[in-house]
Amino acid sequence: MTRQALSTSALHADRIAKSFGGLKVFNDVSFTVPAGGLLGVIGPNGAGKTTMINIFTGRLSLTSGQVMLGETRIDGRSTFENALMGLVRSFQQTAIFNGHSVETNLISALRFSKRDRSVLERLAPLLDQFGLIENWHRNADVMPYGLQKMLGLAMALATQPKMLLLDEPAAGLEKSERVNIDAYVKFAQEEFGCGVLLVEHDMEIIKRLCPSVIVLDGGRLIAEGPPTEVLSRPHVINAYLGGSDEEDSDVTH
Amino acid sequence: MSSHDLKPLPAETRSSLLSGHDWIALVFVAMTFLIPVFSTNPQVLSQTNLILIAATAALGVYIMQRLDLMSFAVPSFMAIGGYTVALISMKLHVTDVLILAAAAFLMPALCAIPLGSLILRLKGVYFVLVTFVLTEIVQLLLFEAGPITGGANGLVGMPAVKLFGFELWDNPHVLLTTCGLAVLSFAITSLFTRTFRHEFAAIETNDVLAESLGLAAWKYKAMAFSIAAGVSGLAGFALVNMLMTAHPSSFAPMSSVNYITYTIVGGKASILGTLIGALLLVSATDYFALSGEMSPGLFGLLIIIVTLVARGGVVGVVSGLLYRLVGKTTPLNTGETGHAAQEHANQKEGRP
Repeated sequence: MTRQALSTSALHADRIAKSFGGLKVFNDVSFTVPAGGLLGVIGPNGAGKTTMINIFTGRLSLTSGQVMLGETRIDGRSTFENALMGLVRSFQQTAIFNGHSVETNLISALRFSKRDRSVLERLAPLLDQFGLIENWHRNADVMPYGLQKMLGLAMALATQPKMLLLDEPAAGLEKSERVNIDAYVKFAQEEFGCGVLLVEHDMEIIKRLCPSVIVLDGGRLIAEGPPTEVLSRPHVINAYLGGSDEEDSDVTH
Repeated sequence: MSSHDLKPLPAETRSSLLSGHDWIALVFVAMTFLIPVFSTNPQVLSQTNLILIAATAALGVYIMQRLDLMSFAVPSFMAIGGYTVALISMKLHVTDVLILAAAAFLMPALCAIPLGSLILRLKGVYFVLVTFVLTEIVQLLLFEAGPITGGANGLVGMPAVKLFGFELWDNPHVLLTTCGLAVLSFAITSLFTRTFRHEFAAIETNDVLAESLGLAAWKYKAMAFSIAAGVSGLAGFALVNMLMTAHPSSFAPMSSVNYITYTIVGGKASILGTLIGALLLVSATDYFALSGEMSPGLFGLLIIIVTLVARGGVVGVVSGLLYRLVGKTTPLNTGETGHAAQEHANQKEGRP
């Protein structure tokens, strides 16, 4: 990807707010994911993290504020338009086309995003590492959960996005499978030049991968900075972790 | 990741545009052209006519099933196609079968676009409900718009259609017209559903994921609804051509249950299922002399039985048996072959 293309693909949330009726999910949140950069998003359940991804992709509308991808305002546009512009998400649960082979799933991702098979050739090392190549002709929905999850992530990357929104990619994975997430994020950044917004509960992954995180709590952005430093701030510990010694139990969720 | 121990990407699996089931269905329908050559028995001719019209109409259900939508709208679009043809031939004196076929396809297909923009937002039971109400509304309009539709009398006395100036007026000719319309409809449906098989399969199984990867799902839903309407219109043309009359009772809302039954009982996964379903059930209706009021009830019962014990319908069950006998799977409509298709078939039938 050229430098010029990268400069047009930063994701910028500007004072965004969302409420469902009287319920405020979040309010006055602003941040930027630089083009090709990586930003972690953490916060307790119900902090509005998935809602935020749903707004960025266009599934939900904003109550106020705006979201820009490069120079383009993207909130309120349809999901497929944003996806074709290069803003692609992954899902918290497994998201694949059931009843179809791994190959058909990946080919569908290429077709829908108007990419050709050369993208798969570039993805091959990652597909091999995840064990998807040896399951190439298998029906995807009878594969183990971890493989289905990695297939979903590989499909998102096969669209060659400019900005990936990852919604708890490690959720439901065994500890031994979680290194795949590290490989995936690094591959996306280094080989495809993607920016990544990483919503994750696994603090080890956040600390390993993210140069910077934001913390959401009760719909507000309460902290921003490098993960080790942010996670040691008393108000973050109180709001999110409920005490530093509970951090490890969170990791296993 | 060192490059020397990498597994290479398997070669691309190529699947042909039309599946085995599509070809069998097309050849089977095309072979009905030969029936008038071998038989002049009016009973055989009329029965073949009815089966072909039923199968063509049920294609409207089959197409919408690609999107996991159960459509009761078939009789509405058959009526639009049928009345369009009757009006053009009686009022404008255009009897060329090619022009009439084009009109019978295009008129319902165009009407379906604004209707689709309203009702394709709905899913599941809401879509079922609204398409059923649509047939009721169309039925009411046919009765109420007397000056155009002839009201309760319908449009009687349609002239025979012509092909290159040659009049297709007697029983064998009417059957040939129906055959032509059926072959056209099966060809359109096969080509359409197979060209966009990836898109339809994705919308059917997970439309949220499909959109998040960049697929404009509404575009494919609208196209499917429009093509399904056009094909239903061709069935409507065949029906009014056979009866030489366009009458509201030919497009009764309850007849939508029949078309759904043909597709589900025959096997909704492949176009062959729609044909086999229509063939078996229209013949059974005739054989058991089922009266018109009884058949929707019995067909409803059949749908329940098939849904409970054999989701794949007749074609699914026979394919499953063949697989066990020969140890080889017949191609699924999804275009999958081999292992994945069989795993999927096993799963659908509850086998490990």
